[in-house]
Amino acid sequence: MVSKNLMAASTKPMILSILASGEIYGYQIIQNIIQISGGTLEWSEGMLYPVLHRMEKENFIRSEWKISDNGRRRKYYRLTELGKKELQKERKQWMSVHKVFSRLWDPFPAVE
Amino acid sequence: MFDLEKAIKHWRAILNKNSALEDGYKEELECHLRDKIDHMISLGSPEKKAYEEAVKKIGETDSIGAEYFKTDTRGISGLPPWKKSRWMPPLFSNYIKIGLRKIKRQKLYSLINIAGLAVGLACCAVIILYVTNELSYDAFHKDADRIYRVATHRINIVGEFRFSTTPGPLGPELKASYPQVEQAIRVVPPFENASHVLVVQEEKRFFENRIWFADKDIFELFHIPFLQGNAQTALVNPNAVVITEGMAKKYFGEEPSLGRALQIEIDYDTGIVEIQDFEVTGVVKNSPANTHLKYDMFISMPTMTSNLPSFEEDWLNHHGKYTYVKLTPTANAADFEEQIQKIAKLCAQKYTEKYNRKMDLNEFFLQPVTKIHMYSRNMREIEPSGNWYYIYIYSIIAFLILLIGCMNFVNLSAALSTTRTKEVGLRKVVGAQRRQLVWQFLGESFLITVLAFIFAFGLISLLLIPFNQMAGTELTSAGLKQPIVLLSLFGLLLFVSIGSGCYPALILTGFNPVSVLQGKSAPTSRGARAQKFLVVGQFAISIFLVICTFTVFKQLNFMKGRALGFSLEQKLVLRVQSNLQHLRRDFEAIKEDFLQNPSITGATVSSSVPGDDTDSGYYLTSRAEDFRNAARLKVITMDYDFIPEYEIKMVAGRPFQKKPGNDEKEAYLINLAGVKELGFSSPEEALGKSFMAHYHRMTKRIIGVTDDFHYRGMQEIVEPLIMDIEDSLMNTITLSIRVENMNELMQFVKKRWDEHFPGVPFEYSFLDESFDREYRYEDQMGRLLGIITTLGFIIACLGLFGLASFVARYRTKEIGIRKVLGASTTNIVAMLSKKFFMLILISVIIASPLAWYSMNKWLQDFAYRVNMNLVVFFVAAGGALAIALATVCIQGIRAAVANPVNSLRDE
Repeated sequence: MVSKNLMAASTKPMILSILASGEIYGYQIIQNIIQISGGTLEWSEGMLYPVLHRMEKENFIRSEWKISDNGRRRKYYRLTELGKKELQKERKQWMSVHKVFSRLWDPFPAVE
Repeated sequence: MFDLEKAIKHWRAILNKNSALEDGYKEELECHLRDKIDHMISLGSPEKKAYEEAVKKIGETDSIGAEYFKTDTRGISGLPPWKKSRWMPPLFSNYIKIGLRKIKRQKLYSLINIAGLAVGLACCAVIILYVTNELSYDAFHKDADRIYRVATHRINIVGEFRFSTTPGPLGPELKASYPQVEQAIRVVPPFENASHVLVVQEEKRFFENRIWFADKDIFELFHIPFLQGNAQTALVNPNAVVITEGMAKKYFGEEPSLGRALQIEIDYDTGIVEIQDFEVTGVVKNSPANTHLKYDMFISMPTMTSNLPSFEEDWLNHHGKYTYVKLTPTANAADFEEQIQKIAKLCAQKYTEKYNRKMDLNEFFLQPVTKIHMYSRNMREIEPSGNWYYIYIYSIIAFLILLIGCMNFVNLSAALSTTRTKEVGLRKVVGAQRRQLVWQFLGESFLITVLAFIFAFGLISLLLIPFNQMAGTELTSAGLKQPIVLLSLFGLLLFVSIGSGCYPALILTGFNPVSVLQGKSAPTSRGARAQKFLVVGQFAISIFLVICTFTVFKQLNFMKGRALGFSLEQKLVLRVQSNLQHLRRDFEAIKEDFLQNPSITGATVSSSVPGDDTDSGYYLTSRAEDFRNAARLKVITMDYDFIPEYEIKMVAGRPFQKKPGNDEKEAYLINLAGVKELGFSSPEEALGKSFMAHYHRMTKRIIGVTDDFHYRGMQEIVEPLIMDIEDSLMNTITLSIRVENMNELMQFVKKRWDEHFPGVPFEYSFLDESFDREYRYEDQMGRLLGIITTLGFIIACLGLFGLASFVARYRTKEIGIRKVLGASTTNIVAMLSKKFFMLILISVIIASPLAWYSMNKWLQDFAYRVNMNLVVFFVAAGGALAIALATVCIQGIRAAVANPVNSLRDE
């Protein structure tokens, strides 16, 4: 299980990353996360939507209602140009954090 | 059996309760729920379990709603959280609706507000137009900042002078010898000092007064757009003339004017006046109103030089010759000014050589063309300069009127605020913040101001008519389109709406909603104090204006009524502008011809008549040919009949007499001021003393002393005057008439005129009328002040009326109870008026010293003035008090005579 704070911080970059691969709707995002994390990340699924809504307001993503094959109305999301830039920014930040941890926890730290 | 659809409906109902969730959000969530359920069912879960699991996974609907709410609400908009905020304040349309409804419902108060503001705004707009026009003089020339006029500063035995003029050859010399001069041109009027130039085109004959000789490059230096003809060559040849489109229309109508002939009468300073033929070589746009050099025609300079070759060599005579230069962009004006002093010194040298007299100082100085109108105080200025004094006075008056209007608005809104406490209370209860309400009320005052502006625009053109007459301007409402004016007006709009909206807004929004809605009235003591203050302010301004107006009128009556020392009545004045030789040679015969009509009882010829702005003077010396320390006296030259015809009183000696003797060659008259100027202690002492005049170098004796008659009107102190019989300056005929049949008489005069001065336009005036024109400025200022004071007073009274009516209404119940308990109508009217009476009294006390001070200052300008006395103050104060009280009493009486049953029953 991941703490609530970390969860909150990572939601945005995760959504951006998932949307980077194409147009997708809310339920699929959740499914993707579960799949990729192997079930270690668990969201309160309803909370995804306000986040998507906020990101749309911030112009990182665009949404569009579409009718799926079974006649259900679904809202699809995709990245905007601004969102792509934001993803690059987030990525840089997370990678630098990642680098620090991977150095710190490397079982064989380099000998100076 | 578990019904999935029913369960989802139930879940959806829970969502519906959450007001933060918009339909779209809910649909998306539901879609997610269904996807999840489908997914789990496909993995083998039973429906019920799948549903429960999915619901759990989605999470608390309340926290989802809260999250959405957080995302959607940015600050306080008052809108439902899911609506996008607009640029306009929310509830804007509602505010407008309420605002308009208030205006409609309170017709009287709104009318008072709007009318007051409209008048104030219109006054301000006119003044803005005036000020912009005054300050924009000559700024429209291309590179106006590089254009200068060269002027002369001179000190000689007679005194210190600054002339706008410079010698004729200066312009070409500057252009030839100074690399920093890009362009230099001269303009010269066809007559020195003459404002009437005869122009003839076949049957059409008119006098024009804005004709100039000009160098050919004038169109490069000044911005004078050509409509027809070639600007480069138009003024190259002699006898070419460029005219404005207005002139083209006047002389040629709709026909083409280019290449046509005009005849113009010109005096080349040789003593001979000639009518010459000219060819129209160009048509230019009409002269703009905001230039100091207004023009109707330009005559080519070669016309001048071919007729008067000495013009290009004459370094001494500078009269009527104006030189303008345009410097190169890199030139330094101060350096250039320094360098041209060399030429000034040469001029002084030439002067000394020729007249054997030294000049103490002779300098040229540069005047930036844009500064000429407002700052030039030179002699021989082309037109009267602008005056900061008027700008200040007009601005102050306009501002005061606007202030009265604004105060009205503030006062009435503050008073009416009590009727809006419920609205404010309700708005507050449903969540309005104070800031929002302030915006609402500011918006309302903005709305009122905009409406007032619309009315003001209608008023502006009305106000411009008297204003133009008074200020001698040609302002039109078209000037409102200038960006600077629009900007100022917009500034005014904001200033007025915020200035007058602020206070009511703060009062109105300060109410405590609880007490208001419980029916307790809001605390108003603070508001009441401010209202009193405003009423005092309004009336102080009004009374100030009333006192000023009274004083101006008093001074005017004083000036008009004071004995002028000569007879003004029944004098017909004929101005001879052309063919002066005939008048000067044969005036006795001309007079005889006029006197044949029995209605004409007398005739006299002179150089000017009382009321003329005579500027000519004689320098007088008792030592031959030595004019150092000479005394300067203004001069009127006349024939033998002038003194008796004008009934001028003699104090000593005798008037001119034909026989015996030779007064023409031997005699002067002077006035009492002249006695002092020439250094005599009594009129008798002056008699018999001889003086030489610089004008004709003749020595004559003083044979008589006249009273100090006011030959230049009452504004000016009577200056030393000499009277002389000297034909060469005469140009005016005065006929004393006895009017029985005006028409017949004028026909006779016209007939005789045409016999003696064929082709010369017949121009006449009546002396008393033209003398009244002397007081034109004071007269117009009095009238303007009168109009404005009346307006201001009416506005203030309207405000008072509104306020009193409101107070009376507000106290209806109290009045009812008082009446029931036995109060009489008088008691109640007194009770209602007492407070206002005190306020107006305070205004009188504030306004009086201010008015006294400012009017005393104004009166200093007059040589002969009324005294400020208490009567004016009592009349003004009493009048103001009476009118104000009457206003209040009307309301008071209405309230007092109302049937108390009606007011008390109303609950």
